[in-house]
Amino acid sequence: MKKRDTTRQNAASSDPIKRRAQPGYYPEYSTMAQQDYWDEATRKTVQSRLAPPPSLRFFSPDEAKLFQAIIDRLLPQDDRTPERRIPILPEIDKRLFNNTLNGFRFEDMPPDREAYRIGLKAIDEMAHERFRAAFTTIGPYAQDLLLKSLHDEKPDPPHWVWKRMPVHRFWALMLQDCVDVYYSHPWAWDEIGYGGPAYPRGYMRLENGLPEPWEVDEKPYLWRAPAGSLSDLDFEIEANFEQDAEHGSRGIH
Amino acid sequence: MPLFGAFDPPKNGVHSLGPMQQIKTPMRRYRESEIVDYLIVGAGSAGGVLAQRLSRAGFRVVALEAGPFWDTERDWVSDEKGSHELYWNDLRITGGKNPLALGANNCGKGVGGGSVHWAAFTPRLHPSDFRVHTEDGVGVDWPMSYWDLKPYYELLEREIPVAGPAWFPWGDPHGHPYGPHPLGAIGDVLVRGCTRLGIRTVAGGPVAILSASHGDRPHCIYRGFCLQGCKVGAKASTLITHVPDAIAHGAEIREYSMAARIILGKDGRAEAVLYFDREGKEHLQRARAIIVAAYSIETPRLLLNSACRGHERGLANSSGKVGHYLMAQAGNVVAGRFDELIRMYKAPPAHALSEQFYETDPKRNFARGFAIQTVAPLPISFAKHMMSAVGAWGWGMRRIMMDYNHFATLGVLGEILPWDDNRVELADEKDQFGLRVAKVTFNLHDNDKKLIEFGKRTVKDVLHAAGAKVVVQESRYAHLVGAARMGQSPADSVVDKFGRTHDIANLFICDGSIMPTQGSANPGLTIQALAARTADYLIAQGETIFSSNRRAMEEPRIRYNLSPPFTRFKGNPRLA
Repeated sequence: MKKRDTTRQNAASSDPIKRRAQPGYYPEYSTMAQQDYWDEATRKTVQSRLAPPPSLRFFSPDEAKLFQAIIDRLLPQDDRTPERRIPILPEIDKRLFNNTLNGFRFEDMPPDREAYRIGLKAIDEMAHERFRAAFTTIGPYAQDLLLKSLHDEKPDPPHWVWKRMPVHRFWALMLQDCVDVYYSHPWAWDEIGYGGPAYPRGYMRLENGLPEPWEVDEKPYLWRAPAGSLSDLDFEIEANFEQDAEHGSRGIH
Repeated sequence: MPLFGAFDPPKNGVHSLGPMQQIKTPMRRYRESEIVDYLIVGAGSAGGVLAQRLSRAGFRVVALEAGPFWDTERDWVSDEKGSHELYWNDLRITGGKNPLALGANNCGKGVGGGSVHWAAFTPRLHPSDFRVHTEDGVGVDWPMSYWDLKPYYELLEREIPVAGPAWFPWGDPHGHPYGPHPLGAIGDVLVRGCTRLGIRTVAGGPVAILSASHGDRPHCIYRGFCLQGCKVGAKASTLITHVPDAIAHGAEIREYSMAARIILGKDGRAEAVLYFDREGKEHLQRARAIIVAAYSIETPRLLLNSACRGHERGLANSSGKVGHYLMAQAGNVVAGRFDELIRMYKAPPAHALSEQFYETDPKRNFARGFAIQTVAPLPISFAKHMMSAVGAWGWGMRRIMMDYNHFATLGVLGEILPWDDNRVELADEKDQFGLRVAKVTFNLHDNDKKLIEFGKRTVKDVLHAAGAKVVVQESRYAHLVGAARMGQSPADSVVDKFGRTHDIANLFICDGSIMPTQGSANPGLTIQALAARTADYLIAQGETIFSSNRRAMEEPRIRYNLSPPFTRFKGNPRLA
């Protein structure tokens, strides 16, 4: 695997990240522009994601503030203009309030609601111990440092909660909940050039990655994470490399 | 507007199964005081076929289904997150050294069961799969042969029907009644990579997806939402292939009916099933025979939860093997990034495969083998793959997802052998009905690990050969079967070769849980073929099933007159 040259990276990315209404390589592309061609049930489901988010019922105001700060690092949206940021927290709050399950729980994990309550508290206590301040106030770099220690399964500083609840499972729980919300939003589909719903019209250009008449061509540009962030990939995406992961977490086939 | 009025909202009082097919006849309703002939627990892949066959043969049939009776126009969406309700989302506990992810990974909840959200690959098992102990000294032999099941494969391939190549070269070579599908870009990647390595492939199937219209079902429109329930009605599920015919012949499909326990009569025979409705109210349905077809987790769970005097370890469990020998297939997902665009969300995820590595090869250091198949995760699933495969999060997640359209994913589908310690038990925790939930334990063994290692290395080579510059992989599992296996000896199996429990003569099990081994073929077609064969057996036995404990073991005569409309004598000229 070819590791990324981080010195070059940091030098080149000293500018603040450019804000766009629609990040990604598909400018002007809009899945919602096609909604007249979707069936009614699908249209309602997708439209509901653009409606004002529901008010919080599971998290306390303090927990919500803390979790929002965590979400802002787990799936950052600083490159999106404020009115085009995808609300993630309210959807997770709704899932936990309704106790909607995903069909299973690992035997070494507490129930999802409890996992969130103790996990969030632990992250804040870790911030207090390491940085003498609340997680919400320590800034993106320190927040990344702390979260990366959870990602790497080496919580720094250690906390008793991670003896009771495997840190990699809590990490997966939080991040999966976040990507469930972000990548179900039509603005995220526009960002990645995903075609979106296609019934009853269907797709007709199946080969060679060609766009449908209503899709647009990719216009790639050099994309850089903000200077000092710790969550970018640590390899060149265009280079030859291999990577392996044990333990899958959810599945389809 | 074009296309079958599908832009309009569903009309009241019309039950739509796809844009054209509708249930027009009112469904027969049995009173609880009535004793029906067959009570089927689970209206899924096997239950749908059983209900259709048995009602066509004139039996009084009720199928209990824990989930809803889908109206596909009203209930289903072309949306990944919006399809959450298709899965079994109730609590299960998972553990062991290699815990299985459940939920979206396995059985469905609702009429059609898992066939609602399967990718619909429909390869057959190979003849060798039925004799792996004899041939390779691993696992166990089936108490039946491939040739006993073959006529049912042929029959179901027409009823579903299956689209695929005219010549499928592996196992028992065969053709398919509907032509192969055009390739999407991931199929192209699989074929290109394999061809460069000298690995033989088939493309455009075999899949249970229509490549041409069929009766009141339109052909595929290549929108890629197979795993989210096919609103088009092109992908087969028993909801649209067999259940309508069952209802037309007097079967009742009772939705939102969660089986709690099987009740035995004074004579020791199965007498009734106690179940809960949507409001949690208890009901009892009596029947002259009971068939459990509830999936490899819920089937053993129901048998274990039905423990009673004389059956303290659970029903049909004198062997102690109920819940044991649970299997999942290795389902490693390998993703390759290409310089060119792929756009893998188009076309069915399932559409090209190779079974070149299916059989045991003495040159390798493990028994049995694997298949290579296309997999095409939609954005949310792909993001989760990238969490595991490269530890993506934060800006890295955003960045790799911006390259979603450059990735192609292929899957290993590897045979994991049946092991006694892979099992379903009851946890102490209870569900919303007060029923103890299932606890699933899963461990990989030496042969499994070697097979997986070889399989993922091979698929990585295929992606590199196809031109991928970046190749990453995630280990995962798919397709649970086993946990109530068939066998000749009541000492180490739960049912006989027709699915009849060794212990109770009018209690049957018919779903993937009776499979003693699994091969590296997706199990859906095999489950439906086994159900059609069991139905022929039950029909041939007639009243004997209801009144006698005699156990006939001769193969039944295959009945060609029980197929749903539009499917008889289609395709393969070898079929009678």
